[in-house]
Amino acid sequence: MSDIRDQEDAHEFRVEALSLWRITFGPLIWALHFVASYGAAALVCAKASAGAVEALRIGIGVGTLLALALILWLAVRAWRQWDLRRDPEWENDKGTSEDRHQFLGHAAFLLSVISFIGVVYVALPALLIGSCA
Amino acid sequence: MRTSALLMGLSLLSACEGRQSVLNPAGRDAQDVLSLIWVMFGGAVLLWFLLGVIFVYVTKVEPREMPRRWGEALIIGGGVIFPVILLGALLTYSLPMMKPQREADEGLKVHITAEQWWWRVAYELPDGRRVTSANELRLPTGRRTGLVLNAHKVIHAFWVPALGGKVDMIPGRETYLSFLPEEPGVYRGQCAEFCGASHALMAFETVVMTPEDYAEWIEAEASDAAKPASAEAYRGAEVFAREGCGGCHTVRGTQAQGQVGPDLTHVGSRKSLGAGILEMTEDDLSRFIAHTEDIKPEVAMPGYDHLTPEDLRALAAYLKGLT
Repeated sequence: MSDIRDQEDAHEFRVEALSLWRITFGPLIWALHFVASYGAAALVCAKASAGAVEALRIGIGVGTLLALALILWLAVRAWRQWDLRRDPEWENDKGTSEDRHQFLGHAAFLLSVISFIGVVYVALPALLIGSCA
Repeated sequence: MRTSALLMGLSLLSACEGRQSVLNPAGRDAQDVLSLIWVMFGGAVLLWFLLGVIFVYVTKVEPREMPRRWGEALIIGGGVIFPVILLGALLTYSLPMMKPQREADEGLKVHITAEQWWWRVAYELPDGRRVTSANELRLPTGRRTGLVLNAHKVIHAFWVPALGGKVDMIPGRETYLSFLPEEPGVYRGQCAEFCGASHALMAFETVVMTPEDYAEWIEAEASDAAKPASAEAYRGAEVFAREGCGGCHTVRGTQAQGQVGPDLTHVGSRKSLGAGILEMTEDDLSRFIAHTEDIKPEVAMPGYDHLTPEDLRALAAYLKGLT
């Protein structure tokens, strides 16, 4: 193996390493939103007065919108990286660097979709029940 | 063979009409639970049918390979979009139902503590009085009553299917449930979490009454025990004192002030004996007192089989007279 080839590989690896991280961001936001919502609800319901419940609901609402916006942004980026419209191939299984790049976009997009749904479902009790009961 | 299977099926169905059935609701909360059951059941049948139709279509009617676009549409539509909308709709429909089941009471609270294997019951009236009872729950119609649930030693679960949902009773951790009964009647409750040898024998009757009847009943329940009305009952009261029953049981208005076992002040007026397992008759009373452990395995109360039949009869007459 030549040095040049090694350097190219190293460069490519750095680029893909970032998008490898990026596919975890959607589920990560979902997880943070989940922990924050349930943690805050548990604390407020156990310790705070009834008046704080409204503030909690607003807080969860704002947090939810923020999380959804972030996930949406990640989804759009992942969609572009997947590049399905220009290259209408689902599998990306040839093992080339382009295929790896698109596969990571594909995975990140699907994870963003499920994270989006997860965040919406986590927020529904705060919207529909609206009390600590 | 077929006839017996049919008969068995019929007998199973008839169990659904009983006084311990979610299919026979007598209160607002149980009605909500039943609606939820039907919606879920209907939805499940519909989905099952739909899946069957698709299955027959792709295996028998049109077994050729599907165009790629159709396949993709089926996977994304049927595998992602449809379930997300369906689950979202179910959540939106069912989540608001949880709220009333924990709503605050409208004046009356009942504290229920699960013991092995009976129920300690205390009514907290709007004027602050507490009326102690056991092994039976009485509720008024048209008013939400709070149930404050606790347990002693092990986990139990409180469940009156005709009136509402099921809630765990956990030692050291109070739980809460509220009922809005609508139909007067007698409904059966049952401990719904395995709690030891006599778990299956830990039941109770729930009597739902009109507000007028209820007001009358609670005053009677709050009063002290009736004095023995016959010579035999009087003799029974003597046996009760002599055998030390008052060490564990309370009969308000007498020397008996024990807190270990069920309060017996108005035991004779209850619909059942031994926490929902025997009838409130003199025969069953003397059987239960003489052979407690045979009827209710591992129960704390020893059997008093050393008493003479006359003593047992007198004791039964005394207890039956405590209305």
